[in-house]
Formats: sequence, C-alpha cells, structure tokens
Amino acid sequence: MHIVLPRDASLDGHLVDGAIGYLTLTTGIAFAAALAFLLAAIFFHRAHARRTRGQHTHGNRPRDRALMFTVALVMFVAIDVTLALRTSRDLESHFWRYPDADPNALRVEVTAQQWAWTFRTAGPDGRFGTPDDVVTLNELDIPVGHPIYLKLRSRDVVHSLYLPNFRTKIDAIPGMTTRIWFQATEPGRFEIACAQHCGVNHYKMRGLLTARLEPEYRDWLARAETDSRLRYDPAAPATTGAWDWETGK
Amino acid sequence: MSDREEIASAEGQNGEQEEIPPAPTGFLRRYVFSIDHKVIGRQFLFLGLGFLAIGGLMAMLIRWQLARPGAPVPIVGKLLFGPSGGVISPVAYTALFTMHGTIMIFFAVTPILIGGFGNFCLPLLIGARDMAFPRLNMASFWTMFAATAILTASFFVPLGPPEAGWTAYATLSTTIGAPGPGQTLWVVAIYLNGASSVMGAVNYITTVLRMRAPGMTYLRMPLTVWGFFLTSILNALFVPVLAAAMVLLFFDRVLGTQFFIAGTTPGAGGDPILYQHLFWLFGHPEVYILILPAWGIVGDLLAFFARKPLFGYRVTVGALIAVVVLSTVVYGHHMFTTGMSPLLGESFMLLTMIISVPTSLIVFSWLGTLWRGAIRMATPMLFCLGMVFTFGVGGLTGLYLADITADIYLHDTYFVVGHFHLIMASALLMSLFAAVYFWFPKMFGRMMNEGLGKLHFWLTFVPLNLVFMGQLVIGYEGMQRRLYDPSVYDFLKPLLPLNRGISHAAYLLGAAQLIFVVNFFGSLARGARAAANPWEVGTLEWTVASPPPHHNFDQIPIVVRGPHELSHPAARALGRDWLGQAEVIETVPAPEPTAPTSTEPA
Amino acid sequence: MTAAPTTASRRREIDAQVGLVIFLGATAMLFAALLLAYAIVRSQAPSWPPAGVPPFPRGAAAANTLALVAASWALRRGAPRAALAFGAAFLTAQALLWRHLVAIHLGPSAGALGEVFFALSALHALHVLGGLVALTLTGVRRLRLLTIYWDFVLAVWVVVYVAVCLL
Repeated sequence: MHIVLPRDASLDGHLVDGAIGYLTLTTGIAFAAALAFLLAAIFFHRAHARRTRGQHTHGNRPRDRALMFTVALVMFVAIDVTLALRTSRDLESHFWRYPDADPNALRVEVTAQQWAWTFRTAGPDGRFGTPDDVVTLNELDIPVGHPIYLKLRSRDVVHSLYLPNFRTKIDAIPGMTTRIWFQATEPGRFEIACAQHCGVNHYKMRGLLTARLEPEYRDWLARAETDSRLRYDPAAPATTGAWDWETGK
Repeated sequence: MSDREEIASAEGQNGEQEEIPPAPTGFLRRYVFSIDHKVIGRQFLFLGLGFLAIGGLMAMLIRWQLARPGAPVPIVGKLLFGPSGGVISPVAYTALFTMHGTIMIFFAVTPILIGGFGNFCLPLLIGARDMAFPRLNMASFWTMFAATAILTASFFVPLGPPEAGWTAYATLSTTIGAPGPGQTLWVVAIYLNGASSVMGAVNYITTVLRMRAPGMTYLRMPLTVWGFFLTSILNALFVPVLAAAMVLLFFDRVLGTQFFIAGTTPGAGGDPILYQHLFWLFGHPEVYILILPAWGIVGDLLAFFARKPLFGYRVTVGALIAVVVLSTVVYGHHMFTTGMSPLLGESFMLLTMIISVPTSLIVFSWLGTLWRGAIRMATPMLFCLGMVFTFGVGGLTGLYLADITADIYLHDTYFVVGHFHLIMASALLMSLFAAVYFWFPKMFGRMMNEGLGKLHFWLTFVPLNLVFMGQLVIGYEGMQRRLYDPSVYDFLKPLLPLNRGISHAAYLLGAAQLIFVVNFFGSLARGARAAANPWEVGTLEWTVASPPPHHNFDQIPIVVRGPHELSHPAARALGRDWLGQAEVIETVPAPEPTAPTSTEPA
Repeated sequence: MTAAPTTASRRREIDAQVGLVIFLGATAMLFAALLLAYAIVRSQAPSWPPAGVPPFPRGAAAANTLALVAASWALRRGAPRAALAFGAAFLTAQALLWRHLVAIHLGPSAGALGEVFFALSALHALHVLGGLVALTLTGVRRLRLLTIYWDFVLAVWVVVYVAVCLL
C-alpha cells in the first residue's frame, strides 16, 4: 500500500509537507516509546502465581512527579514548541505574505456558489467588473512562476476552495471576502475541490486548475480575452460576481 | 490519623443520619417515572445504547456508499431507500452523516456515559442515598426523551431530515441552505438535549459539593467522580452557549431575524462566522465533556485491575482541571481556514498545543499505574488498555491539527475524521464498554460472560484501529469530508481500494457488536448472580448488594482512605490485597514505602 | 465541614440554593453568549444605531423595569402573590412593547437593532415566565430561593437594557 501525498506543484507546499513529516517523526518516536512501555508493563507485570500484588505506591513522591513533568515538558518542547516556532516563521514569511504590491502577481476574484466556482481576472485594463474581464466557470488558468492571489466571496453558503496539489485551502463565506495566495512551480492540470459541506451537490463542486508556462499562458490569455470581449453581455449576471479589488465594493 | 480517630471526628460532624425514604410501589413509579438515580441511570443507558445502535447502522450505510458508490444497499436498501431503487441518494447521504454525528454525540455517548453511568454511579461512589435533586433528575431524563422524539420526527417531515452536518454551519442551516422544517426540528431537539444536560449538571455538581459521605474529601473521591464533576462544570457553562446559537438559528429560521444570514439576500447583514464562534465556543469544551468521564473511569479501572493505586492521583486531578480550563480558550483551531487574524490564529495554535502537557501527564499516570502492578486481564481491563492505545494515537494526531501550517491542508479532510473518531469512537467507546462490563454486576445483579467479553474486545479493538487509522491515511492523501462519491475527483480515484478496506473493517466492527448484544441481554436473563464485590475493589458501591437496595446504604459510610488502596500492606493480615474506603482497620497503616517491599520480584 | 450538626431540612435548603446558583451560572452564560452575539453584530454594523431606524422607545422599556423591581421587593416583603402580579405585569408590558416595536419597524425581522433587542428580551421573558411558574408552584415555601431568582432576572434585564438601549 503506497501512502502518498498528492503531487506537490507549489512553491510553499514543501513547508506543509515538512511540518507533517516532522510531526510524524516526533510523535512516532513518542508513541513508540509509550507503546513499548505499555507492552512491557502488560507482559512483565501481569498477575500470575508468583505475582499477586502490585507495588503499593501512589506515585506522589517528588521523584515520581519530577519524572512525569520532565517527560511531559521534553515532549512539549521537542514537538510543540519547535513546531510552533517553525510554523510561525513559515506563516509570517510565506503564507501570510500576501503579494499586494507585487506587479507579477495574478489577481483572481473567486465567487463560490451552490455548486460551482466562478473565476474572474481583471483583463488588460486592470479593473474588475469591466467588459474585458476574463470570466471562467469551474476553470482556473494560471501562469507558472507567478504569485496567484485569490480573493473569495460566496453567493449563498460557506464553501472552501481546496487545492490539494498546492497544499492549501480557504473558506468562501457569505458576507465576507477571504483571501489566499500560492504559486505554481510546474505546469499541469490539477483539481480544485470544495472542502466545506455546502449542500447536496457538495461532492460535485469540482474545478480544474491549469498551470501553463509563460509563453503558453500568454497564448491562452490572448484567446481568452478575445472570447470574453465577444461574449460580453452587459445584462448577464456574471458581472455581479465582481468587486473592486482594493475597496471591496 | 488512624481510622478510629477519623470515624470519631466524622461522627461528631455528621449530625442526624438522613432518614431512609420508603421504596416506591407500583410499576409506573418504580420503572417509568422513577426518581431513583439507579433507575434513571438505567433508563439513560438503554436509551443511549439504542441510539448507539442506530448511529452505528448509519455509519455502516455511509461506509457502504464510500466503498461502492451508487450500488444498491443489500437487504435493507429497498426498505430504506425505496424511491431510489435501494441506492443511497446524495440527499440521503447528507442526511445520514448529519444524523450519524448528531446521534452519536448527543443521543448515544452523552446519555450512556453522563446520563447513564453518571447517574447510576455518582451517589453510590460518594456514599449518598441519591442525587441532590431526584425529581430534577427524572425531568432530565424525560427532557432527553422528548428531544429524541423531536429528532425522530425530523425524518418524517416534508423535505426530510436535516442535512447540514452535525455542526449545522450557517448559512447552510438557515433557510438559505435548508428550507424545510427538518432542520428546525433538529434545532429544537438539540436545545432540549442541552436542557437535559444542564439539568444533569446542576444535579451532579450540587451532589458532589454537598452530599459526599463524611471523610470523603475531594482527594479521596474516585477519579470517576472527578470525571463526572468536571464534565458537569463544563456542561453547565458551555451548553448554554450552544443554546444561544440554537436560539438565534431558530429565530433566523422562523422569525426572520438575520443573525447569521449574509450573502446576496438584500439587506442581509448577518455573519455566518458568528455562528461558528458560538458553536465552537461550545463545541470544543464539548469534546472534553465527552472524554472527561472516560478519563475518570479509566483512571479508576486501571488502578483496580493493576492492583495498585493510581500513579499520581493529585497530578492527575490537577491535569484534569488544567484541561478543563484550557479547553475554554482553544476553540479557534476549528476555524483556521476562515481567514481569522494572524494574531488570533497563532494564539489559538499555542493554547491548543499547551493542552498536550496536562493530557500527557494523564497518560503517564496510566502508564505509571500499570508499571509494577499485578495486572488482571479481565474484560473491563482489556477495554481500558485498548483505550490507552487508541487515545495515544488519537491524541497525538490532534497535534497535526493544532499546527496551522499542517491544518490548512488537513482541515476538512478524513484526517480530522480519523482523529476525532480515534478519540470519540475508539477511546471513548472502549471506555464505555469497560464501564458496562465493570458495572453490569452492580446494575443488574448478574455477571456478564467473560469469554464473550474478551471476544467482543478483540473483534472490536482490531477493526476500530483499522477503520480510523485508515481514515488518517486517506485524509493524509487529501480526501475531503462529506463526499457522496469520491470518484468524481481524479486524485481520489486511487483511494477506492483503501476506502473499501476501511468499509470492510467497519462491517466487521459492526457485526462484532452483536456479540455484545447477545452477552448483554443473555446475561441479564441468565448470567451468574453477582456478589457484592466481584472485582475485589474498595470503592463504596461494592459494599452494598448487587443490585443495591433502593436506599443504597443502610448506614451512610464514613470514609477513612482513598479509592485505590490496593496491594496495601495492611490488607495482607485480612487475607486479601485491597482495603475498602470505609473499612476500619485496627493497626495504623505503614508509611508510604520508599522502595517496593511488598511485591514479588519484578 | 461545619462544627455543629445541621438538620436535614436546613441541609436541603442549602442544597437547593447551591443548585440554584449553578443554574443561574448556566443562565448567565446563555445571556453572555447572546450579548457576545450583540457585540459582534454591533461591531460589524456600518453605524449604530443602524441607519434609517426610528429611535428606540427607551422610556417604555425603562418603565417595564419597575415591574421587575416591584416583584423583587414584594418577595422580600413575603408577598409572593403580589410578586406574581408584578411579574405578569412585566410580561404583559413586554408583549405590548414588542407589538409596538414591530409596528414602528424595530421588530425582529427589521434589522440589527430590532433583532438584537428581541432575542435578548425574548429569552429574558422566557425566564420571567419560568419564574412565574416557580412562584405559582412553590409560593411561600421557597421565598429565599425565589428572591435570589427574581433578583437575577432583574439584574439580567438591567444589563440588557443598558447594553442595548443606553449604550
């Protein structure tokens, strides 16, 4: 049985994998030690003809307490504290460093609804809600090597945009705008899933993320922009899934 | 001081002994509308066991669908899912996982452990004749019963049972996501269930504070009592927060308020996240509410069956209290993906991690109790040892979810499902069985069959671990929760064999419970008559007949020592290895030995 | 442990008080959670009071407080039936107040202020109703307990009133 994480196509996903790996290693060691102790006690200290009484101690002596607290604190420092410091660092220098000022970042507005994802990019004029926006249904097309900055809203219930190959997810909550950013390191087609129960068709709320190398992405973008201009219908409800990136209006 | 001196000082303080009230007569007063805590405890136990079976069957159906998406369910398919030709439809599936979670938490574990064993054992363990408020106790059972009736009714209303998950997040649980009356009935049922819990909490807390027998200091209480006492404090404080969430959800659904309603509805200025805050403010203490009785019971039973005192009783009590306090400030770890502020997120992460310190102390006390014991591997002990094992795994997997980095990936995957089932459905379930096998003789006056008990243990323990560790694996591989058909996703298609394996283990687990059913009812009818103290332990319930008389104790006992005086040197002279809590012995007990003197060579 | 022996009935009286205090603690948590909801609703509203709502009839709501004060006072004077009357008067006045609020578009379905006031006052009213039931069933026998309960109900109302109507 091959137990593998989904293919990691992201810039920062290895930090997630690293945290999980560290936890597996350290908790594995701790558990193995505890299990060995448990099994030893069961095997060696079972009642039998020559063993009819236990040791009458309440474990209240200073050395008993010292032992318990020392092991507990060692585990706490080795597992929790180390991990917390590492995670804090990763969050502050990677996951929570949103590319607000990065001109290379691709900004995408995501509208979640029962049961589909709408993705909108600003088009050549750089503004959302204008006729040149590229709007796609259940498909997100991104260039490799650029930060992809998503802001999300929901039309109805709580959904959660989940990108297994990028080790990330963020909820889309009615009445709020949430955000996430990630970056692809390789081209390919990856799945988008909904990770928050959102009704009877939650299981079908699937999307497709296509990451392309720069040249191919530019080709795609040119075609998509032409399509958008041709298909633009001012009366279509697609325009309601748009808001000003900076102000949120 | 010596036992004799203790008795003398306690008698001086005891004042008049409570009069023994007359036993009730008539079928209704004795078995239906009884105010006797023992009867009410058995009522809760049977109610809870019934719902445990229903919730378990729902789990089997869920596992069927995940193993064979879209295949008709054998045997019961046509009956349960007639309109869809025996196949579980997506609607039915969402109702199944919603009701499975709701039933297991609120209508199985809570009534069995807290309503059932809490009621039956608490007065006996502390040397009282009944709870502080016997009629409130009866009201608490019938309120719970009413809640089950309303929950059952939700299956039969237009648009069917609730489908928003046991967590019922807004706005899926508001009229936006759930237009029918089923969800409203669910809200009412949960509210009534909570009311029953609060009534019970008022009773248990007052009983422990006020009705302990003379000499039963807090530090001489069996750990089981501490478990029920602390759980009741959390119940009293945090179930009302759930009640607030339910009240506001009810108003949103029925009276047009918009506390939680937002989105494209015009003027809807509510906040779905408000629901999550209120729900998880309750929800996190709730998981400790469920596990605290188990920790208490296992602490006592490990000592009893290892034939030595609990290792570090005081540290354990301190750790339990620390967990209770910390549990109130960690709830945000259920909401890491909602985009909360970094400072808030990191605070919740740190506090959640800190809980692992007192929790590990509790585990160490278990291990220390076993070490250098003379372990008797009776059925209750097997379940306790199984609990220690799965709690170890389950508890450690909690750390993955405490860490924000890992949690962003693992949140709402089967890793979470595996984690909480290892604790709730494995550790907690095994504690529950340990409690049943342990107190069955006292409750029903008969012994359960030991051979069937051991068989039940192994056929439960092994599949339990396979099912829930299997879920850890598929969660790690990315499978998200509440999926009707995982094969919609390419990245989940390779997990079908694993899902199938998990389901097969689950079917075995379900089937194995029949052994328990046979043993339970068979022993009720024809088990060997139980003596007063078949386990040879010193807590007070074993000093009275099995089952106890209506008034529990002829004379309120006077307690002179702790609950775990096993392998006590002074017991040797009496030809056994245990001393009762209220047992007076003539000699002053030897001081605590600094090196083991009374054990055989290790 | 007390030094002198206590009678069984005195012990039960204290048991009941302990139980009541725990119950009031639980109830306080219910109202604390509702007040938390109010705080969050208010902090996220663009303005407070919300734009376009008529002024809240503070005077009428304040007058209702007097009925509760009178009920607590009556209990202290050993007059449970008067307390019952005052409690019933409070509930009647609240019902009239709600009807008025709905008429002026401050009812539960009319926006943030209306829904907050309704939720808090409705739950409070349910507890007043419970207090009336307790009064009817136990009357003179449980004056001390009833006094504690009605003082609590009054205190909750004052907090709700101040938080929603004055602040």
